[in-house]
Amino acid sequence: MMEKQYTDVLIIGAGPAGLAAATNLFESGFKITILDEFPHPGGRLLGQFHEESDGSWWIGRQVASELVEMTKQPNISLQCGVSVYGLKQISEGWEVLSSVGTIETKYLLLATGAAEIPVPLEGWTLPGVMSIGAAQVLTNVHMVKPGDRGIIVGVNVLGLAISRELAVAGVDLAGIVLSPNNLFSGENANPVEAINLLMSLSHLAPSAWMRLGGSLAQKMKMGKWVSTFFPRQGMNVWDIPLLLKTTISSIQGKKSVESVVLADVNSSGQIIAGSEREEKVDFVALAGGLYPLAELAAVAGCSFLYLPELGGNIPLHNEQMKTPLSNLYVAGNITGVEGAQVAMAQGKLAARSIGNDAGLLKNGREKIAEAMDEVHQVRKTATIQFHPGIIAARKRVYEMYDSLQKESLTS
Amino acid sequence: MSKLRIVNHPLIKKGEQKRISFTFNGESLEGLEGEPIAAALLAHGIRILRRHEESGSNRGLYCAIGHCMECRVDVQGKGQVRACLTPIVEGMEVVEGKQLENKITGREAP
Amino acid sequence: MGNETADVVVIGGGIIGMATSYYLSKLGLDVVVVEKGEIAGGTSSKCDGNILAIDKEPGFDSQMSLKSQELVTELVKELDEEFEYRAPGSILVCENEEEMVAANAWVEHQKQAGLPFRMLDRNDIKSEWKYMADDIYGGLECATDSTVNPVLFTYALAVTAKRLGVRLKTHTTVTKIRLDANGAVEGVETSSGLIYTKQVVNAAGVWSKHIGQMVGIEVPIEPRKGHILVSSRTKSIGTRKVMEFSYLMSKFGKERKVDEETEKYGVALVFEPTASQNFLIGSSREFVGFQTQINVDVIRCIARRAIRFFPVMKDIPILRSYCGLRPWTPDHLPIVSRVEEVPGFYIAAGHEGDGISLAAITGKVMSELITDQKTTITTDPLRYDRFQKTEV
Ligand SMILES: Cc1cc2nc3c(=O)[nH]c(=O)nc-3n(C[C@H](O)[C@H](O)[C@H](O)COP(=O)(O)OP(=O)(O)OC[C@H]3O[C@@H](n4cnc5c(N)ncnc54)[C@H](O)[C@@H]3O)c2cc1C
Ligand SMILES: Cc1cc2nc3c(=O)[nH]c(=O)nc-3n(C[C@H](O)[C@H](O)[C@H](O)COP(=O)(O)OP(=O)(O)OC[C@H]3O[C@@H](n4cnc5c(N)ncnc54)[C@H](O)[C@@H]3O)c2cc1C
Ligand code: FES
Repeated sequence: MMEKQYTDVLIIGAGPAGLAAATNLFESGFKITILDEFPHPGGRLLGQFHEESDGSWWIGRQVASELVEMTKQPNISLQCGVSVYGLKQISEGWEVLSSVGTIETKYLLLATGAAEIPVPLEGWTLPGVMSIGAAQVLTNVHMVKPGDRGIIVGVNVLGLAISRELAVAGVDLAGIVLSPNNLFSGENANPVEAINLLMSLSHLAPSAWMRLGGSLAQKMKMGKWVSTFFPRQGMNVWDIPLLLKTTISSIQGKKSVESVVLADVNSSGQIIAGSEREEKVDFVALAGGLYPLAELAAVAGCSFLYLPELGGNIPLHNEQMKTPLSNLYVAGNITGVEGAQVAMAQGKLAARSIGNDAGLLKNGREKIAEAMDEVHQVRKTATIQFHPGIIAARKRVYEMYDSLQKESLTS
Repeated sequence: MSKLRIVNHPLIKKGEQKRISFTFNGESLEGLEGEPIAAALLAHGIRILRRHEESGSNRGLYCAIGHCMECRVDVQGKGQVRACLTPIVEGMEVVEGKQLENKITGREAP
Repeated sequence: MGNETADVVVIGGGIIGMATSYYLSKLGLDVVVVEKGEIAGGTSSKCDGNILAIDKEPGFDSQMSLKSQELVTELVKELDEEFEYRAPGSILVCENEEEMVAANAWVEHQKQAGLPFRMLDRNDIKSEWKYMADDIYGGLECATDSTVNPVLFTYALAVTAKRLGVRLKTHTTVTKIRLDANGAVEGVETSSGLIYTKQVVNAAGVWSKHIGQMVGIEVPIEPRKGHILVSSRTKSIGTRKVMEFSYLMSKFGKERKVDEETEKYGVALVFEPTASQNFLIGSSREFVGFQTQINVDVIRCIARRAIRFFPVMKDIPILRSYCGLRPWTPDHLPIVSRVEEVPGFYIAAGHEGDGISLAAITGKVMSELITDQKTTITTDPLRYDRFQKTEV
């Protein structure tokens, strides 16, 4: 049996949310422990970079190392390669079960981020088929190309952003195609939906998107249905063929991926018979979108809300990042899928909430209001927005929290 | 250096990493200290990390960040680990996940 | 919305509801199943799949079990889909001499009743179970015990019943039961409309108390929570069920010699190898209401128990764990019965830890009760009014 450890604040997840929380809390003098199962701190920041509207590059790895630098404090212990698998509420906080033993903490912050929605299709268990995030991590974190030539499946924010990253790294891509039209795909397989999404994302990144979004919008105005207008051979975006009228029907290969079978679709996403063709690739990256990685909140006994705009099941929390369970806080993508800058702002806010609840924050109210404001600001100006309905959905979460709190007070 | 390693990324610079050796299914390979098993193997073009316990079909990594458990391999002295999260260390002995017998259906191991 | 009619409405799409519907449809009745969630979404997917006689008292208890076992072997042929049925027998293992003595008495008792029981000594155990702890004294075997995949079994019944004309209404909740002027069943109100029927079967498992209240009766069924761990796929440790004898010691009025936590959570090892060669490792027994949250202390306690009997388990990763609620009754027998005071209202619930074992016989008997036939087994010990009688 390993000996039990004690800490004042335990943060699960060393992504932007968890690291930002720690760096905003160390002045409290609390003993802070951050755990992460990935071998390096930084979470999904490590693999991200994008072009800002002024043409400069925002590089997640740099942001991460700055944050990690700031955690080098005597009262902060950052431990990587440690998985948390269980939580238990105790009278004085929480007991956390991890691969290095049990840790008791007064305050617990869950900052476990998001995970990817799988995209099942024929042949998807072949080695060489991976999630789009895996292609990102291999390329940008481990700096190994996922293969010699690949194809991206799924037209959504993450798929497009990472396609570009792959192109920048010199990975050869056959194109971006629609998700397969099957039981699991939903709207992703529909070209009209894909185009609507692209239009709403014209701020995603500079130049290329503006142009694409703009030109699509123009064509829409001309009264022509874009899906009839959009060229079947696709349009190049950052030199990657964007094939909005093409879907994938299967992945082929004996030992690992050798090719994919592509097919044309009509405007409702149905395959046009006879249009099937083979494309040689040695990897396939499936972009199914993200959902909050919230199992630990469920294990803790938190109640959940289902909000598609935020990526699915969300642990109930208020705007100060508190859950209904005492001394349990959440921050980052576990509260809804958004970009890393929002996660950082949320981490800071959670830190202030914890400091305030512990009676250690001077002018607590103002400081919290200020941090909440910062979250709003960052959200408004975020380069990458995952869903147009985020702000309204978040409001609903907070309202639900308040009404449930009131209920439990009166009963 | 294998052709899949990215050496000149226009935006990302990684510090020098020591080269170390480890084995996969008994074969000696080189990798970079601190990188996970799955990345070190991919750099050598090795994508097959295990055979499905029941069907024997080939499996590789899927998520690369520890969520899906598809990348299970055996490491001498550690047992089953996730190849996408477990860093290689000098002399590490890694073996692919194997197809197993099924005593209930009577299917024998290959 | 036009109102539907049916000969019988079955409330609950668990194994009991599906078995009842299947046997009713075989008799040509027009049946509607109303299930608030998914088929097998209740306890029937949060359990093991043992069909056991080994732990039953000889007499009515074990006869009911054996009869059900017989019906299951017929269902293997009758149903449209396969459900991982096999009958490798099961064993109970003893940790000390005292248990061996009690086990011996148990085996003699069962043999007299004509059941295929026998004692196993240390060598028998060791030769079958390479990975069993060395200090196990021995045990006993019941050669006919069998096992199924409970979810597949429920679905096999459902699919076949559907082919025979049963209408399955999932995601539909029963909200009220309509009675006529004489207090007899007239219809069932659901979240998607009214169904006229003169016969209703309450097969709502741990929720049957609530359904009973809709017609003003008290059904004495309470939820008894149990945890199960699922191991990852590894080398074969064994192919059939192993349970610890010590849990039966209470039947002999003796105390179990286990630590406080094991006692508190009612933990006793049930080791069940599945067809995919994972193991289900159970279980616990607690009265903690309807909450089904995993308690890590219970999980640890079960894991400790598993490692005590199979030391290799300490190196086998656990995939996940889950909890189910057993529909408990005060005398541990189910209620399979008419309710005399509410004509047309039947109960088929309260099978506690034996619902999978007893589903077939329950369904068969229910279909016989509803169609006024002679029942395959006597149903006196299963009558609803047995609880009312004892109260006075
Ligand atoms: C694959 C992927 C790629 C993404 N790419 C982009 C992108 O390109 N651009 C963008 O704007 N957004 C991207 N996102 C969204 C991303 O989630 C946010 O940008 C941001 O990183 C969220 O920060 P976070 O701190 O909430 O979580 P994360 O950055 O995900 O950090 C969470 C950390 O928690 C750790 N963790 C989780 N569970 C446990 C546990 N049980 N025990 C121990 N540690 C645990 C994880 O290892 C991880 O390091 C991506 C998300 C994913 C999943
Ligand atoms: C840990 C554990 C291990 C077990 N192991 C075994 C074993 O090895 N062998 C064995 O024989 N048994 C075992 N059991 C017991 C067995 O699982 C149960 O006895 C059996 O599943 C009960 O089936 P049921 O159909 O009565 O209940 P359920 O499967 O719970 O079905 C009742 C259904 O009614 C529905 N319902 C409730 N209210 C309404 C409403 N108002 N409207 C519509 N629908 C409603 C519910 O949604 C539910 O699906 C075990 C149980 C547990 C918990
Ligand atoms: S690839 Fe998903 S856990 Fe390793």
